[in-house]
Amino acid sequence: MCSACGFPAAPGHWTEAGAANAHDRLRGRFRRAQVLQRVLPSYNLRVHETNDIPGIQLSTLTGSGSIVSHLDDLWVLVEKVNGRPVDPLDTRFIGEE
Amino acid sequence: MSNTDGRIRLIILGGYLGSGKTTWLRHQLHEGQFQGALVIVNEAAETAIDDALLGGSDRLAVLAGGCVCCAAKQDLIDLLRRVSDDRSRAVSTDSPLDLIVLETSGLADPGAIVEAIRSDPVLVYHIVVSEVIVAVDGLHGMSQLRSEPLSRHQIEVADKLIVTKTDAVEQNELTLLLATLTAMSPGAVMSGAVKGVSHPLPEFSDAIAETLQDFAGQELKAPISPTRLYLDNSIDWTAFTVWLSALLYARGNDIVRVKGVIRTPAGRLLLQTVRKIVQSPEILPELGDTREDNIVVMIGRGFTHAQLTKSLQHFVGSQGV
Repeated sequence: MCSACGFPAAPGHWTEAGAANAHDRLRGRFRRAQVLQRVLPSYNLRVHETNDIPGIQLSTLTGSGSIVSHLDDLWVLVEKVNGRPVDPLDTRFIGEE
Repeated sequence: MSNTDGRIRLIILGGYLGSGKTTWLRHQLHEGQFQGALVIVNEAAETAIDDALLGGSDRLAVLAGGCVCCAAKQDLIDLLRRVSDDRSRAVSTDSPLDLIVLETSGLADPGAIVEAIRSDPVLVYHIVVSEVIVAVDGLHGMSQLRSEPLSRHQIEVADKLIVTKTDAVEQNELTLLLATLTAMSPGAVMSGAVKGVSHPLPEFSDAIAETLQDFAGQELKAPISPTRLYLDNSIDWTAFTVWLSALLYARGNDIVRVKGVIRTPAGRLLLQTVRKIVQSPEILPELGDTREDNIVVMIGRGFTHAQLTKSLQHFVGSQGV
């Protein structure tokens, strides 16, 4: 569509499109860290959210750290560290044999 | 127009999942093409999303809950018979319906639809298929041709091919696709489009068409099917996108298409993906009817509804999805 026949697109990375104002964005960052913290430890990574650094802060079990700008880059990094991607259909998330 | 014998012309708009059918049609309607036409939108999933985008059409009918070339074929026949009937009864002062545009689901074989209409004893006197237009994904088209028999059937029956997303693809990949399409469907007229707006295609006479492998004898992949996820209030946009972005990264080749309208503090967001690529969510206007909100349709293979639900629950940290 062109700008006349379509609706406006939300700015920024698509995963951050749900926030209407700075308040929502901040809440979203903490919520994102909370969700990631449930997932990433089993992939040998931890997430920190201090709200003073743009991006997602990660550290490995040995303490080395990285910052990625958004979730797409995060999943690339996790695959690099572990040799395989986070697969939400993995048995650890769906509890099957 | 002259050789339709007073029958209604039917244009079939087909193309693989996420190839850009609705985007193209939306822009054509905006430009004033297909005026007075009845637009029929078919979606394989039970939840229709595309009709929200086609507000520019004069008349719109939605056939959701099955692909019209197979499971919902009878629904299409019934609808077309009803339309033909209404037209025959209409008084001459009404503006007569002389064009129908049928946007198929991405899983439909347009050839099967043409066949169904031609073999119906009533419709054959009322409706003539004037053109089969097939949208081809410039970015993913080549890999679809290599792996999905359906994408080949769609191209083989096309009168007109619209190669979309031509701005997002390398020149040599695009010329390979164009040469391969020409070899498969030499009679079809080809044109390019970017976000629905027509876009010139590069010269490709030097490009050599790829010889596609025959599927015969190969183990067939599981069929692609739609699954609906309801997102209740316990699921917020942030948690959902963490989950979905991981899922697309790991399984993007099997999750061919995701579509849905999700309610967020920023408004109603239209979420659309094609394989691993996510379109910037569009902010849809608020409407009174929100029944279709917070339902996400996922089309692909290699997963079940129960697995998706469980996995999403794990990410969100809640029990109810």
